Amino acid sequence: MSEGRIDFKSLVKRVDADKTGDFISYDPEKCDGCGLCAVICPFKLWSVKEGKARLAPRYQELCLECASCWEICEREAIDFSYPRGGTGVVIEYG
Amino acid sequence: MEKWDVVIVGAGPGGSYAAKTAAEAGLRTVFFERGRKPGEKNSSGCGLGQRWWRDFPEVMEAVTRMPSYRKVEMVVINMVDEDLRLRFRCGTNGSDLCAGRFPNRKGMEGASVYRMDLDPYLAELAVKAGAELRTSTLVTDVIMENGQVKGVRTERGEPVYAEVVIAADGAMSTMARRSGMRNRWGGGCTNVLQLDYACDEEMMDDVIGDAEWCWFGGAVGYQVNFRSSFHISVGGGWLDRDLKGYRRHDDLKSLIDVPAFQAMCRAVKARPREFQAHLLPWLKRPVKSYTGGMMLVGDAAGFPCPLEAEGVWHACYSGKIAAETAAWAISRGDVSENALSEYEKRWKASFLGKEHEFGEEFVDIWEGAIMNREKALEQLQLMLEFTMLQPFSIVFDWADAHMDCFNHHLRHFLELAPQFSDFGRTYLAPLARGVWPSNVKRILLMLKPRIPVLRNLSDRNYFRVMARLFRQLAPFLDPTAEQDAPLPRGSLEKRGGERR
Repeated sequence: MSEGRIDFKSLVKRVDADKTGDFISYDPEKCDGCGLCAVICPFKLWSVKEGKARLAPRYQELCLECASCWEICEREAIDFSYPRGGTGVVIEYG
Repeated sequence: MEKWDVVIVGAGPGGSYAAKTAAEAGLRTVFFERGRKPGEKNSSGCGLGQRWWRDFPEVMEAVTRMPSYRKVEMVVINMVDEDLRLRFRCGTNGSDLCAGRFPNRKGMEGASVYRMDLDPYLAELAVKAGAELRTSTLVTDVIMENGQVKGVRTERGEPVYAEVVIAADGAMSTMARRSGMRNRWGGGCTNVLQLDYACDEEMMDDVIGDAEWCWFGGAVGYQVNFRSSFHISVGGGWLDRDLKGYRRHDDLKSLIDVPAFQAMCRAVKARPREFQAHLLPWLKRPVKSYTGGMMLVGDAAGFPCPLEAEGVWHACYSGKIAAETAAWAISRGDVSENALSEYEKRWKASFLGKEHEFGEEFVDIWEGAIMNREKALEQLQLMLEFTMLQPFSIVFDWADAHMDCFNHHLRHFLELAPQFSDFGRTYLAPLARGVWPSNVKRILLMLKPRIPVLRNLSDRNYFRVMARLFRQLAPFLDPTAEQDAPLPRGSLEKRGGERR
């Protein structure tokens, strides 16, 4: 039951993950490459390359919709809305 | 042009309870949900405290019939050390005093229930009351005219106008942001990872019983127990702290790696089945909760409890007050910012306001002593030594002659005591103003017969002398102080002389 054997990504259910639209936008001009977004994202969807944050291209299929990256970004370089109504993460229990 | 009395954004507990209240007040009400059904995008859950029996008894009755319901009669605290070993386990004490505070002895009875059970039920109450629910619809913007919120716009660009908008759209609140009320929380917000396990129902009864579990010390997390399942919620720390050295998932991983946790998992046949993450505002004080034409409720306003972080009661409670305020404002024909300041007046004067009166002190304890691993382990050590001084530990420590064992522990505890007094000075002393003056007087009267020079004074003169001798006591002994209420903020600092 150790964490190594829990595949967290397989424990997230989604509906129409290909129809969410873009819901995270990012302004490289404002980014200072601090990397806090990469630290806080539970699924490591952000990384820092050449001093700028970079978002995984297939983030719509992986994002948990927690918005921690938006909250943590002191430069306000990250804007977060939500996937289109009726799409994205589905929580069956809660 | 579509126009309603009240538009509510979000069909979580806050939005649905606001919709129910507004519809019952005769207001034409619509509420929007981005999920395909309410509860599908939920962000927490869901231990409901005893206060639900006082404020929402009909909801609690329904909760006890929901599939995931488990009664909560105690909270079991598991303290683990640096090496993740379980060091001691204790529980809350359901005294008659607590139980008897509410009708039917419900004063010590809480509930755990999944949001996927609770949210659809609350939304249904609102629909039955006459509110219209629109699902699978994301609200993306507010409509502003002259600084006043006039309605909202959905993802399809449709404008929906309203006399009053109630934003129940969660921690990230698009409505609060688009209206310019605030942007990021900029501190005072944490992110929570939540892992759900399916379990064997009978074993849950046998091993867990009617209880919530908490894990503190070397691993920190809440374990909310349901009928045939549980989940663990682990706060990743405040997002304003220095996160450079923070390794993601570590807090969750620590808890999963606790051998006593794994043993419990084996006993209840736990199988991981769902993972989610969400933001949780955990504020020293709530933010501004209204603007012209709009009020914020629940997480959107930062209302979750500053001490134990429940937010669902706060959402329903603020949703109710917001809808009542909307009805009042609409009936007067004034929904301006000035008129809606009534909302803040009302919630501040309510149980919700009382809860936040000590927000700063409560959050300090978590930040400084529980979520801070190093400090938490220090406190654990002190607690362990302290428990060694109670009779059972002395009887069952047979390493040496019992009195010698006791003295070894007493000496060690006294060596550690300065740390404990630091903790007391920093985190507990600021809470002193919450002790009612009537209780301070009771304590002083217990001491009076033991103080030779003072015991013959009248009570009144005795209190006057004590107030002169101990300046910190003066505010409590002021004859004009309200007897059964906390002192106002700042009163100890002003009158009591030095603090810290």
